[in-house]
Formats: sequence, C-alpha cells, structure tokens
Amino acid sequence: MAFNRRKLGAVFGALLVTAVVAGAAGASPQGTPGVTKKQIVIGGTFPYSGPAALYKTIPVAEQAYYAYLNAKGGVFHRQIKDITVDDQYDPSQTGPATTKLVEQDHVFAIVGSLGTAPILATWNYLNQRHIPQVLVATGDAYWGNCVHHKCQGSTKPWTLGWQPDYPGEAKIYAHYILGHNSKAKIGVLYQNDAYGKNYLGGLKSGLGSNANQIVDAESYSLGDSAQVIAAHVVKLRAAGADTFAIFATPTATIQALVARTLIGWSPDTYVNNVSSNRLFELAAGKNGASLNGIISSTYTASPTVQPNLPGMKLAVAIIHKYAPALDQSLAAGDGNIIYGLASAWTFADALKHAGQNLTRAGLMHALRNMKETNNPFIYPGMTVQTSKKRTFPMEQLKLIKWSGGAGGDWHAFGKIYSGVH
Amino acid sequence: MATAESSPRPTFRSRGTDVGSFPVVVVLLVAAAAFLLVGSLRSVTFAQLTVQGLALGAVYGSLALALVLVYRATRVINFAQGELAMATTYIAWQLVQWGLSYWEAFFATLGIAFVLGLVLEIVLIRPVLHRSEIAAVIVTVGLFILVDGVVNWLWGGGFKSLPPPFGTKIYHVGGVAIARLYVGMIVVVLVSVVLVWVLFRFTKLGLGMRAAAIRPAEAALVGVRVDRMLAIGWGLATVLGAVAGLMAAPSQYILDPTLMQPILVYAFAAAVLGGLESPAGAVVGGLIIGVTLNLIVQYVPAITSELQLPFAFAVLIVVLLIKPSGLFGHREVRRV
Amino acid sequence: MSRLPALVSLLVVAGVLAVLPFLLSAYNVSLVAQVGIFFIGVLGLNILTGYTGQISIGHGAFMAIGGYTTAVLSRDHNTNLVVTMLAAFALCFVFGVLVGLPALRFSGVYLALVTFALAVSVPQLPLKWSKFLGGRDGVQTSRTVSHVWLYGVAWAASAILFVLAWLILRGRVGRAFRAVRDSEIAAVASGVELPVYKTLAFGISAAYAGVAGSLFVLATNGFAAPDEFSIVLSLQLLVGAAVAGLGSLWGILAGAAFVGLLPSVSTSVPVIGSDHGRDVVFGAAVILVMLLLPGGFAGLLARIRRLARA
Repeated sequence: MAFNRRKLGAVFGALLVTAVVAGAAGASPQGTPGVTKKQIVIGGTFPYSGPAALYKTIPVAEQAYYAYLNAKGGVFHRQIKDITVDDQYDPSQTGPATTKLVEQDHVFAIVGSLGTAPILATWNYLNQRHIPQVLVATGDAYWGNCVHHKCQGSTKPWTLGWQPDYPGEAKIYAHYILGHNSKAKIGVLYQNDAYGKNYLGGLKSGLGSNANQIVDAESYSLGDSAQVIAAHVVKLRAAGADTFAIFATPTATIQALVARTLIGWSPDTYVNNVSSNRLFELAAGKNGASLNGIISSTYTASPTVQPNLPGMKLAVAIIHKYAPALDQSLAAGDGNIIYGLASAWTFADALKHAGQNLTRAGLMHALRNMKETNNPFIYPGMTVQTSKKRTFPMEQLKLIKWSGGAGGDWHAFGKIYSGVH
Repeated sequence: MATAESSPRPTFRSRGTDVGSFPVVVVLLVAAAAFLLVGSLRSVTFAQLTVQGLALGAVYGSLALALVLVYRATRVINFAQGELAMATTYIAWQLVQWGLSYWEAFFATLGIAFVLGLVLEIVLIRPVLHRSEIAAVIVTVGLFILVDGVVNWLWGGGFKSLPPPFGTKIYHVGGVAIARLYVGMIVVVLVSVVLVWVLFRFTKLGLGMRAAAIRPAEAALVGVRVDRMLAIGWGLATVLGAVAGLMAAPSQYILDPTLMQPILVYAFAAAVLGGLESPAGAVVGGLIIGVTLNLIVQYVPAITSELQLPFAFAVLIVVLLIKPSGLFGHREVRRV
Repeated sequence: MSRLPALVSLLVVAGVLAVLPFLLSAYNVSLVAQVGIFFIGVLGLNILTGYTGQISIGHGAFMAIGGYTTAVLSRDHNTNLVVTMLAAFALCFVFGVLVGLPALRFSGVYLALVTFALAVSVPQLPLKWSKFLGGRDGVQTSRTVSHVWLYGVAWAASAILFVLAWLILRGRVGRAFRAVRDSEIAAVASGVELPVYKTLAFGISAAYAGVAGSLFVLATNGFAAPDEFSIVLSLQLLVGAAVAGLGSLWGILAGAAFVGLLPSVSTSVPVIGSDHGRDVVFGAAVILVMLLLPGGFAGLLARIRRLARA
C-alpha cells in the first residue's frame, strides 16, 4: 500500500511540476493584477481581534478614506476596493491570508498591513513575486534598511514602511534629555522584543558617551499583568532613576503610568509615539495617573488640539460620513484614526503619481520618489518624502507635552526634528 | 471520542481536608506569612510587591474558586471559565455604556452570569456529562473558542475600559503605597469566598449541592434534585468567574479579549495547588501564586517575566507529582 | 470489518489527492496542503486520545517544537527541509516521551490541565532565549517552498505516517494502547507495561505533531514565531480529533479538512461578517459535533453503514 502510494506520489509529483510550470507560463495576465478600468483592488491584514485589536480603528479609517475618495470619483476614475482580513496578529494567519489576497482576490498590492512579525512572515513571499507591500503599519527599522541591504538572504525593495522608525524616535528623546537635564539618571522600561530593543538601542546611541546615565533598563513581556509592570517600575525607582523612558505598547504604558503615580514617583517621563494616542493617556488619568509634563512625540496633526486645521475638519467629516462608529473615538482624540487617514492619503497620492497606466513597478517608483507637502493629516509643516537614498517616508517628529491633568491633552512644543532614523 | 477511564469519585468526608497533612500545611502557610511580613518590614520594595501580588492573587483565587465549584459539581474542568469571565467584563462595559454605574453594572452582570452558567450547564454540559470527561472537556474547549469569537464579533477591537470601581485613592503605610483598588479587590474576593462558604455550610441549597456533587444517587433518593443542583453549581461558578473578571479588568485598566487567558493558567495552578476540591484551597493557592510570581520575577534573576507561564506549568507538575491532593485536598484513592 | 472496503477507500483518497492539483488553482492547492498538515496532527493526536485514552490539550506545543526545529536548522545549517522534518519527528518523539513520563502519574482532567499549561508555556521560551530562537520577531528558514512542494510533501508525509500508524495500531502495541484506554487496571492485570505504552503513545503522537508543526511553519513562508503557536492551535488539533472520531481514515480527513479549511471558508460567513466568523463557527461547530455526533465523523459513518445494512 505504502509503496503504491509513494510511487504514485512520485509520478504525480513530476507531472505536477510540469503542470505548474506550464500553468505559470500560461497564466501570466495581460494587465496588472487587481487593476481594471474601473477598479483597483488592494488588500491588507489587520488585528481586528486578538492581542493587538486596539489598532482596529486604523483599517476602518483607511477604508473610510477610500470610500470618501471613491465618492469623489476615485483615482483616474478607478474605484479603490480595500479587502482587509483579520489575522489576529498571528503570523501563521497572516501567511495564508496574504496568499488568499494575492492568489484568490488578485490584489494589486498589500497596503498598510500591521505588525512586525506579520510583515516578516510575508515579505519574502511578496518580494519574490514582486508584489508591493507598502505603508506597513510598524516602525521597525527593517523596512527602510532592507531596501538596499540583504535581510534574510535578499533585499526587500517591494516592502516600504511609512511612520518614523523607532530608533530614530528614541534618539530625539536622548538629545532632549541631555539638553534638558544633563545629569539625568535614566530608567528604561522596554518590551522584550525587537520593537523594544530598537528603542533602547536608539536611546543608547543618541546618548552616545553618556549612555552610562541609563541606571537600569527593565524588560517586560507583552501580556504581562499590570502588577508585573508595576513591579518593574518599583525597581526602576529603587535604582535611583530620575528620568523614566517608557518604550512600551499602549496597555503596558498605561499600566506603567498608573504605577508611577501609585508609588508616588515623579520623574521626567517619556512615552513612545506608539502609545501617545490621547485615548491611552486619558485611560491612565482616569485610573489615577498624574500626567502633566509627560513628553512624547508626534507626526500627525491632533484632532483635539488643532480642530480648525482643514485636515482635521476633513477627518471629522470623512469619519462621520463613512465610519460613524468611530465618531466618538475621534472626538476623544484617537490618533490612530488620523494615522489611518494619513497613510491612506499617501497611498492615494502615490496612485496619482503612478499615472493612468498603473503597474506594480509604477506604484513602487511613485512611492520611492514621493514629496508630499500637502498631506492634510500629518503635522503641519512636515513632509512625507522618499528618494533612492531616503527609504523611510516619514522622517520628522515634533515633541509633545501633556498638560491639563486627567482630562488634558498633548501640546506640541519646540522645533520639528528632521532626518529621524 | 472514546471513553476515558473515569477517575473515581472521592469518598465522602465530612471535613474537606486531608487530616494527616493538615497541620503541616498550616505551619507552612504561617511560615510563609511570617516571611512576607518580615520581608515587608525590612524592604519597602518587597512590601510594595507583596501587596500587588496579593491583589492579583485575589483575582487568580476567585477564578480558581470558580473552577473548583464546577469541578466539585460535575467533575469537569471548565476550560472556558476564563473566557466566560472575560465575556462578562464586556457585558459590564456595555451596561456602563448604557448608563449604569460600575457597581450597578457589576451586580447586574453577576445576575446575567448566573443565568448564563445555568443555561450552559443544561444545554451543553448535561448532554455529554454521562459520556466521558474528555467529551465534556472538549465541549468546554469549543465554548472557549465560541465565546472568544462572539465577544470579538460584538465588541472586539478598538479601545475600551471600565471605570475604576474603587476610585483612585492611594493609602500610604510606612512608605508603601497601597491603592484602594487593591484593597477593594482583596475584600471583594474574600467576601465572595465567605458567601460561598456560608451557602454551602449553612443553607439547605448548599447542603443539597454538596450532596448532589458527592453522592448523587443517595442525594436523589432523599429528594435532592441533582440536575438542578449541578446547574446551580455552574451558575455560581460563572458568577465567581465574573467577579474575577470584573476585578481583573479594572486592575489592568483596559478591556482586552485576551485578558483572562494567562489568568486562567495561573488559576489552574492555584486550583491544583489548593487541591482542586477545596474552595479555601483555591483562594489560598491564588494568593500564593500571585505573590510568588510578583516576588520571583523581581528577585530571582533567572526567572524573567517570559518565564511566568512556564513557572505556573512547573507548579502544576510539581504539585501533581509530589502531592496530587494539593494543600487542602482529599487524598484520591486510585491504584493502578 | 472486512479489509476490502478500507483498501478501496484508501485508494480512492490517494487517487483523488493525486489528481486534485491538476484541477485546482494554486491557491486551492495551498488550502488542501493545509488540510494535509492538520491530517498529520489530528492523526497523531488520535493515536493518543482516541486509541490510548489520554487527553492532550497541548499538542500545539509539539507543533511549536517541530516548527522551530525546521526553522532553526534551515536558518543555521541550510539543512534540507525534508531532513529537518525527520529531525522534528525525532526531537518531538523525545519531548513527547519526556512529557509522557510525569503524565504517567495523572490522567483525565489533570492531564488536560498539565497539557494546557504546556501549550501556553512553550511559546514563551523563544521570547526568553531570543538570541537563538528569534524572540517575537521569529526565525526564518533559509529557503521557502511553493504551494505544490508543500502539497506533495504534506500528503506524502501523511501517507507514510498513516501507514505507519496503521502498522503500529493493528499489532501488539495497538492492542496494548486500547487496553490502557479501556481500563488501566485490567491492562496491568493482563501484563501490559503501563509506563512503556503510555509514554510510547505520547512520544508517537508528539512526533506526528512535530512533523505537522514543521510543515505548518513552511506553510507560513518558512517563518516561525511564538504567536503562531497560541493555545488556539492546540485547541484546533483537539477539535480536529473530536470531529474525526475514532479509527477511520475518512473521519481523520473530515477532522483535518474542518480545521484546515474553516479559517479560509469562514471569512465569508454571512451576518457575522468577514472579520470574526472564524472563531464563532469553529466553536459552535465543535459543540454541535460533540452534542449531535458523539463518535465524530467516524461514528456518523459507522451509523450510516449500519443503517444501510439494516
């Protein structure tokens, strides 16, 4: 029995290879996949559920923007159809989901997919097939660095990030800390993965010869309880830190902020951009954290502090019309919605620059030669820009400081930092 | 699924403890308490960590208690217990959205949880109970996935949080900051344990439930509605799970569908440590696990926070190998 | 039961599987390859749970070990991927036996608890030893495979492992397993060395899970990361085994197809919508199967056969 089966398998295996080669040769499509005269189909994977479901508002905002654009006639009379799939932040689901988007739904590009590990699980597949994987929603340095350098055996020219990378952001905090308090004794709380280590590394390199001012760096695990986070905070205080850098995802950041107040500790505190969505600080405030003076950074405009900017008015109008479920979140200052709109705006902008005769290579060319000075959703005065040398689209940040207590808000101060990475 | 060899029901005892090892256990617990006290007096950090550990341990304890109640009633480990607790936190959130205060929502949710548990036992567990314990376990596994899916479908994603149930006041005791939240959590859990104890010990319903769990045939003969008792057992367990969830969610500050998954594992460890049959044991086990984890991650360099779950696994294995009846359990008679 | 129908079904399955790639699109080939992967996992778990009566809610842990074996060997030594699968088989056999040893002391719900805790613990280890095991950012194999490669290898492995299971189960070992399941005390009385057979059953089923894990990682473009091996994966295997029922090739195929295809099929569930259909359908289906089809798919087939005969 076994022999028969295996022999059969071998014979059929050989046949299969022939069939597939033939199939691949025969199946090469005339036009660009996912693009017709009337439509552009794109796709993306997002954590609608699971441990990172906090970010669900991003794809909803992106789809709202495309709906708005479609109502205005689309791009070159093509409607944008964005198929999003829930991967629960689990790479083993991102893989098949991406395969389905590419091979079943025949998407033109993967746009905005979220999370470092999910991207790492699919970038080989997409780059081998020359399918754009662009504006990925993670700030790891890979997406910029691996365009020209080999990562996991090959360069990844078809993968592109959008937001400023984590080490660059941390460097800005380092410069600010040294200028603000040159004798600062810094305690760091960071997540025990590439994300957290990217930040810690950036902080160290920003501090340069003063890196020994980091008196303690505590790592935590995603999913740790508030009490474990609090234990780390207790330890940082005990180590004598007077400056506290929180390089953590939102939940842990909220927990660290509450713990810091709970134990009556009031160091200069820095929160990474990932967790500076106003909703998170409000939640921390509601649970007793004192927030005034905390510093973070931003690259998007604020719907609550700058409501009169045309971009923010537009945001409110778009969300109200196409994703009314998010009205309340946006009114409370959910920066992720603005992020989604801004990123979708960049994609639509690139489509325009790629021209009427849309191809995948054409899209990448457009995305690699951007100079967006008029993205209405990013911080006024900033530019989304790429070139052969410049592989991180957003390289600018503005520091923000919290004031107004538990119901307060972030207020920008100081100059716009450029060349962040 | 095939029938697994079913574990024999424990013999009826009027006292829920293994008399032989009881004094030893008490001495050990007193020693542990003394250790914590001395440590706390010597180091503020140690004291701080102990307090936080106790608060978290209370949550583990109350979920463990829910597991124990289900196990006593139906000999089933309810793997969905944590997810049910998580679901109740979302129900409470919904009620708060509709205008209830935290505490109104809290008690309304407990009521809903009771009905939910009752219905689940009748509709899902009872039909498979006679078949095998594996069948019942698989049903609870299905329930785990189903509840997860339904919660994500109805409420998942985005940012949600419950209002702080005990305000944000902080007490200072000799340099140690104790959030009122922590005190409240411990009190709520202890009160619910006492209520369960009173119910079992002093009410006719409790007596009926104990009889139905331990000697169903005899109980039925004397007129106890065994079926009804088992269903009530599940209802009560779901209520306790809800207490765990409604204390855990505010103590983590945000709602998260994965909230209870690690907590379930610690509750397993707590329940087994306490003896799987003993309500008091479950709570003591929860407190021990909570405090130990918080201290060990801080003071034992080799055990970093990644190893908390493996640590709970190790506790399970070690307890089951060395003293399967746990700290407060019966000695199970089982010869092979 | 007579031999002939079994042989016929085997041939039919093999024939259909051999022809399928010619009929299906590349994407559907990858889906059927997924089914092959879960076929191996469910088959292995069936040996432990179905034949030996030992429950495991933790076989995702062995899939993780198998998957990381493949990923690390390929990354560090560029090892042939099929060889890494053999390594995963061997390594997981050893780990299975190691887990089986303490499991000798407890059964039933206790075993369920321990294996559950195992399943949530193992994915933490790559985070702890992140230099070697990649942390949350995972381990990437040095080469990736096509859908057709995956299909061919997954189903070839399925066939080999199915025959192996058949050889094991029909003989003395299989009789001992069943004796352990039906009554441990009676088994010991009739001379079955309980520790040997219980640990052996654990070892074998873990080895099968290891191969499945190895293929699972290859199906994820050769990327192994802790989040892939969440508790839900273990639950899925158990669900597959429950749907499969006992002792039927068709049953295991049904169980594997259920687990392997549902995620992609359920994205188009009406009402619930594309985003959350998977878990709702999964959970509801498991419960329904347990309530309505106690013997799983195999039991259903047996019942139909009996009806047909009557």
